[in-house]
Amino acid sequence: MVELLIRLKITLGRHSSVGTRFLSLVMIALGVALTWYLAVAATSDQVRSGLLMLALAVWAGGWLLGPTITNGVGVLRAQYFTLLPLDRNRVGAGLLATAFVGTGPLLTLVATATVAWHAWASDPAALFLGLLGMLALLVLMVSLSRLVFRALGAAMHSRIGMEIASLQWGLILAGLFFGWMVVQPAFSAVSSLSREGLQGTVLTVLSVVPTSWPVLAVDAAAAGSWGAAFGWLGALGALTLVTVLVTVRLLAPSVAPRGVRRRSRPLGSRVLLGGRSFLPDTPLGAVVGKELRQWWRDPWRGLELRAALWTGLIIGVFGLIGPLPQIAPFAGVAALLVIGLGGANMYGHDGTALWLTVVGQGRDTLRADVRGRQIAFALLAGPSSAALSLVAVVASGAYWAVPYVVSGLVVFLGVTAGLTLLLSVVAVTPGVDPHLRVDANDAGDNQIQVWISLVALPLLSAPALGTLVWAGVQGVPWLAVPVALANGALAAWLLGRSAHQRLEKRLPETFTRIRYGKAVAAQAAAGSGGGLLDQLERGALATNVDIKPTGS
Amino acid sequence: MTSDDVPALELDGLTKTFNETRAADDVSIAVPRGATLGLVGPNGAGKTTSLSMAVGLLRPDSGTARVLGVDVWRDPVEAKQRMGVLPDGLSLPERLTGGELLDYWGRLRGLPRDVTRTRAEELLQVLELDGAERDGVLVAEFSTGMRKKIGLATALLHAPDVLVLDEPYEAVDPVSARVLTAILRRFTDGGGTVVISSHVMALVEQLTDRVAIIAEGRVLADGTLGEVRGADATLEDTFVRLVGAREVGEGDLAWLNS
Repeated sequence: MVELLIRLKITLGRHSSVGTRFLSLVMIALGVALTWYLAVAATSDQVRSGLLMLALAVWAGGWLLGPTITNGVGVLRAQYFTLLPLDRNRVGAGLLATAFVGTGPLLTLVATATVAWHAWASDPAALFLGLLGMLALLVLMVSLSRLVFRALGAAMHSRIGMEIASLQWGLILAGLFFGWMVVQPAFSAVSSLSREGLQGTVLTVLSVVPTSWPVLAVDAAAAGSWGAAFGWLGALGALTLVTVLVTVRLLAPSVAPRGVRRRSRPLGSRVLLGGRSFLPDTPLGAVVGKELRQWWRDPWRGLELRAALWTGLIIGVFGLIGPLPQIAPFAGVAALLVIGLGGANMYGHDGTALWLTVVGQGRDTLRADVRGRQIAFALLAGPSSAALSLVAVVASGAYWAVPYVVSGLVVFLGVTAGLTLLLSVVAVTPGVDPHLRVDANDAGDNQIQVWISLVALPLLSAPALGTLVWAGVQGVPWLAVPVALANGALAAWLLGRSAHQRLEKRLPETFTRIRYGKAVAAQAAAGSGGGLLDQLERGALATNVDIKPTGS
Repeated sequence: MTSDDVPALELDGLTKTFNETRAADDVSIAVPRGATLGLVGPNGAGKTTSLSMAVGLLRPDSGTARVLGVDVWRDPVEAKQRMGVLPDGLSLPERLTGGELLDYWGRLRGLPRDVTRTRAEELLQVLELDGAERDGVLVAEFSTGMRKKIGLATALLHAPDVLVLDEPYEAVDPVSARVLTAILRRFTDGGGTVVISSHVMALVEQLTDRVAIIAEGRVLADGTLGEVRGADATLEDTFVRLVGAREVGEGDLAWLNS
């Protein structure tokens, strides 16, 4: 069966695009080269031991986080095999085995081979320990990777799990933005690293990490204490075995019901039972009400919102403990920007549910749909990022930053409320349709939206930011607040208008993009030329990955 | 515009090509007012594609559709007001309850609040979704049959003139199916027009007075049930005659008996 599953994976792989895979391969290859460089250039066995422990821990980190960040990992989904008369655990084991097929695991094996090299160089008699460690490490890393990914998918079934997934995303994103502050001292020491190795507490911490155990086993063997050597390797073996067993269990097809489990009626759901409604009886009121409920209750949307707040919070903590305390009060502003990045694929998030808007299209529906989403977005993003800002300013005591924080919040709230909607319409990318979603990254791919936002957000906020710099230098930073207000309001209004006009013109095409996928949508897109928005649409079609199986 | 001789729904030369496959090829069907049309065809025949183009979900390569004489592609707002649509297998706002979904839909359609509320309550009750509403069950937690029923409620809520339903009976239990049939009869008795797609011939024969057979994107027959059936005993015979069927010979699949 395993052979069959592997062949299925390769066949499916042949039908998917290569785009981002190439980039990850280059990164992995560079990692292999760096690991071997550290192993070979180390001046003594002791130095090499420390460096390898660090490198292997980084490899494990990459395997843990990689699948969450890159899209389309769940090529072979457990639920495909639910109905086969096979033992569920055998399917799980088979699926785990397929995870070892590919260039990534192969290159990782080349990297873990440094353990064997370390053994050979320390004491040729310990070589077999090194070889066993090399294999166990690969099995451990790949299984752990699948374990974490599936655990995240399973996490979408419960509130607390979703919160953990959000925290993990927050760590990743904050790390991407400000991780350099933490890594920077390590990099500045890299030239002396191969001479002096690692020292002090770092080594103590590293020796607790399981990926270091085969290295410690080799060190013990080279020092003559074979008992300790077998102890370390035995511990690694046992841990690997447990990981494999748990992973097999998690990868086995599940028949449990999906979605977040609730014990009580959802908040605000008594519309027909005489509950009061504060929203007007208009299409705009309809959209605002629906959007607020969806943001509140949908775990995939919740993930976007919470991950952003966690990112802000962690950036604030970096500021409090790191070498750049000035960033601490801007935690809320950072969170707001990340909410903007995450919200830039709203129509992709909703999937084929757009049919309601298409068949229910009245004179004012599309304008109401865009404006309503903007209002709901602002109602959620505004207060939450403002509250986080308040906490961050008070905690850091950086009251000088208040006018900067207020200006930032005001201008970015308007700009993100406009830009997310425009990008959601133009660069819409479907994920797995909402009623079939399982894994944490089943919502649509939004990489091009993120890249464009990173450039467009500062550009669109430039008037306010420029004024803020000028007013700050003049010593009157509060002067920038009204400019930020005007800048934000104008951006929200103009970009929102552009979004609903675009939708007005291309509503069936937008639905086609979601319903029928990339190939059919490319037929309906303007072939070449056109305005900025047409180019953006083509860019999204060319870049973003479809994780949706195309329907009939 | 809406005099009696104007068809309630008219598919006029609808054509669509997907990646060089012609999913619909010059599909023309006219449904008179008050009629119930069954659109039948094998899997992948182009039923959903044709209906999607007729209701404004998919832009045709050529051809158009008219609802009571109003062009769906030239005047979508006017045409869509007269239509109630139930597509097959699509998502809904998954994190709303059935009642919230209807409340959203009523406001979006511009219905007054009390009208929405009365109709929604009645629809949920008739379709036996009121229990789920009391428990606050979200659409995401609905069974396939319940999804069909709440979809049907959205199609009916604004009291349209024409109903276009893609596979409305699929996954619906026999009791609910009777309710559904009663609702459709009530609708046509009041002068409404219904188009349903299905591949269950017996159902179509029992429910509709007109039928169109479609295969490989082309309309092979279109008319009243009697006209289309002609000398054949059942609609299934006509269907098989027109579409062609692979007969299972004596020796085929012999291993099934082993």
